[in-house]
Amino acid sequence: MTYRCLLQMVLLLCFSTTALSMNYSLLRFQQRRSVVVCQKLLRQLPSTPQHCLEVRMDFQVPEEMKQAQQFRKEDAVLVIYEMLQQIFSILTRDFSSTGWSETIIEDLLVELQGQMDHLEPIQKEIMQKKNFTMGDMTVLHLKKYYFNLGQYLKSMEYNSCAWTVVRVQMLMNFSFLKSLTGYLHD
Amino acid sequence: MVQSVKRKQGWHLLQCLGKVFSWRASLSWVLEGLGGEANLKPENVEIHIIDDNFFLKWNSSSESVRNVTFSADYQILGTDNWKKLPGCQNTTSTNCNFSSVELKNVFEKIELRIRAEEGNNTSIWYEVEPFVPFLEAQIGPPDVHLEAEDKAIILSISPPGTEDSIMWATDRLNFRYSVVIWKNSSSLEERTETVFPEDKIYKLSPEITYCLKVKAELPLQSRVGYYSPVYCINTTERHNVPSPENIQINADNQVFVLKWDYPYENTTFRAQWLRAFFKKIPGKHSGKWKQILNCENVTTTRCVFPRNAFPSGIYYVRVQASNGNGTSFWSEEKKFYIEMKTVIFPPVISLKSITDDSLHVSVGASEESENTSVNQLYPLIYEVIFWENTSNAERKVLEKRTEFTFLDLKPLTVYCVKARALIENDRRNKSSSFSDTVCEKTKPGDTSKTWLKAGICTALFSIPVVIYVVRLFLRCVNYVFFPSSKPPSSVDEYFSDQPLKNLLLSTSEEQTERCFIIENASIITEIEETNEIDEVHKKYNSQTSQDSGNYSNEDENSGSKISEEFLQQDSV
Repeated sequence: MTYRCLLQMVLLLCFSTTALSMNYSLLRFQQRRSVVVCQKLLRQLPSTPQHCLEVRMDFQVPEEMKQAQQFRKEDAVLVIYEMLQQIFSILTRDFSSTGWSETIIEDLLVELQGQMDHLEPIQKEIMQKKNFTMGDMTVLHLKKYYFNLGQYLKSMEYNSCAWTVVRVQMLMNFSFLKSLTGYLHD
Repeated sequence: MVQSVKRKQGWHLLQCLGKVFSWRASLSWVLEGLGGEANLKPENVEIHIIDDNFFLKWNSSSESVRNVTFSADYQILGTDNWKKLPGCQNTTSTNCNFSSVELKNVFEKIELRIRAEEGNNTSIWYEVEPFVPFLEAQIGPPDVHLEAEDKAIILSISPPGTEDSIMWATDRLNFRYSVVIWKNSSSLEERTETVFPEDKIYKLSPEITYCLKVKAELPLQSRVGYYSPVYCINTTERHNVPSPENIQINADNQVFVLKWDYPYENTTFRAQWLRAFFKKIPGKHSGKWKQILNCENVTTTRCVFPRNAFPSGIYYVRVQASNGNGTSFWSEEKKFYIEMKTVIFPPVISLKSITDDSLHVSVGASEESENTSVNQLYPLIYEVIFWENTSNAERKVLEKRTEFTFLDLKPLTVYCVKARALIENDRRNKSSSFSDTVCEKTKPGDTSKTWLKAGICTALFSIPVVIYVVRLFLRCVNYVFFPSSKPPSSVDEYFSDQPLKNLLLSTSEEQTERCFIIENASIITEIEETNEIDEVHKKYNSQTSQDSGNYSNEDENSGSKISEEFLQQDSV
């Protein structure tokens, strides 16, 4: 009788320890689901007029986004969080000229905020461990890129042409986010 | 002795100093010759950035006041294009404000250099260590606007910098604000709270002067800003209609139940909701609060609204009371989470008894969950409860696998299992309901040995049986398909006396059968006699034939045998 209990106890201990260490797998699932939802929502927005996309803009897209790169999972978390924050920030601006559905944009904002909520405790943990001093160049490059997007929208007075271009950029961002979630392993 | 050493050291020191001064004098003379005043070089150049304001500070190396001006240049690191720094050209003071510099962005490294000028003489450039303005910048004080209620203060905080700020353009929505509030009367009582740009400070007392100061933070970059100036405001007198308190939201099947506390009767309430992300956006959102349809003009302190009225996400809810005397202030805003998408269906269990001491468990997904593919969204872990049917002692096991075995069980016992699915590592401990209970009996003990014995016995027993059956079968086969050429035994017996040859050759002779007709004795004798006579005749015939020569054959012999037999019989 005691042996049987012991076996069950050992099994339970084994599984509980493995459960604790697999902190990132839930995050990965949530992230992936969230990115897919966001992509679907973005695609629902009409992409007009087409001629706006013909103009080539240089937003100084970070090299990390253009070329595949290895990320440690902590860096991946920071980069993902920064991107979610910046996309959120852009979508809170004035899109009335586009005629886009407010519901869709609000759904996008909800999704982005929900994901940031999930990431925050892990973000804080990483920051405390690293004694982070914002020396990470990737995040700086990302800020520069999103700043350029914001300034572009502003300079074009938030017209629908500018938003069309920005929408394409955001679709590209979500593709990159999806690939980043692959680094959230244990 | 010591004194002499000291004197020597002193002399050496004087010599050194003399050399230095002479060197300096000669150098300055040299430089004067070259046309520069080296000692006009700026020193300890520092950069101060607060929000979008850029300051440059330095010290002048010149002791005397002269007609010295300073000019600075800047360039982006990597380029070779020094541009004049606006606001820092030909300045006589030891600081300048170059906020009007139009930087393309604040995330690139900038190089600065500064030099002193006097007339036609210019010093060498002092180059400042390259820096990233965004990383050097300090967070300035935010702008605060206050509004008072009786037990709360409404805050409207604007982010540091202007709306067109370049420095904080990417982080405007990321600021968190830390408020320190105290009663003006006693500076000891302090409370610190972290608030959103549009927020309220609750749990205050009416008709009291409160003072507060606010600072902005970027917590995820570990940066803290400067405090705003102190603002003071009086809370209003106690409102005659109090606000509802202690708001709670509970989920119940397909509805949400919103409850609150209120001390008075005869009051109508209404509840509103707001999507949580609006809180992060500076600016008034009073227009964004929406009415909860089932919670308008309710007279009870609870209301029920359907679950699907709210898609998943995070929300704030507030309640307001109104009666004949007026309308209360809004209650405290309660945050609540809706995760509608994570409906986890209970798993389907099947139990199989393999051996006498183990049961194999198979966990599967129910049909409904197959359609929603929850497994693809979240990693599931199963909480399995396992007990013996007769006892109530339950064992709980957490399993990630969907196929596993319970070992060390008792044979011929009924065990029962039920399980529920959990999301792995979920803070909210979301789980499905329990599956149906499935029970199964373990196999009888020593079953393997029993089977072995039974098998051996059966084998032993069956071999002769099999052989017998096969033989029978073969015999049948032989009988049907390969009949034997042997005649039946009765015929065979008869034909053993007369060989086959006689039959063939003695066709000419009459074959007589021995018949016995029993009527009475006299007749018998007569018949016998007649037979005898015939036999005698036959005998004589045979004899004569015998005597005649080679005509004798076996037939005759047999006939003689027969006659001999008769004679013997007669004699008897």
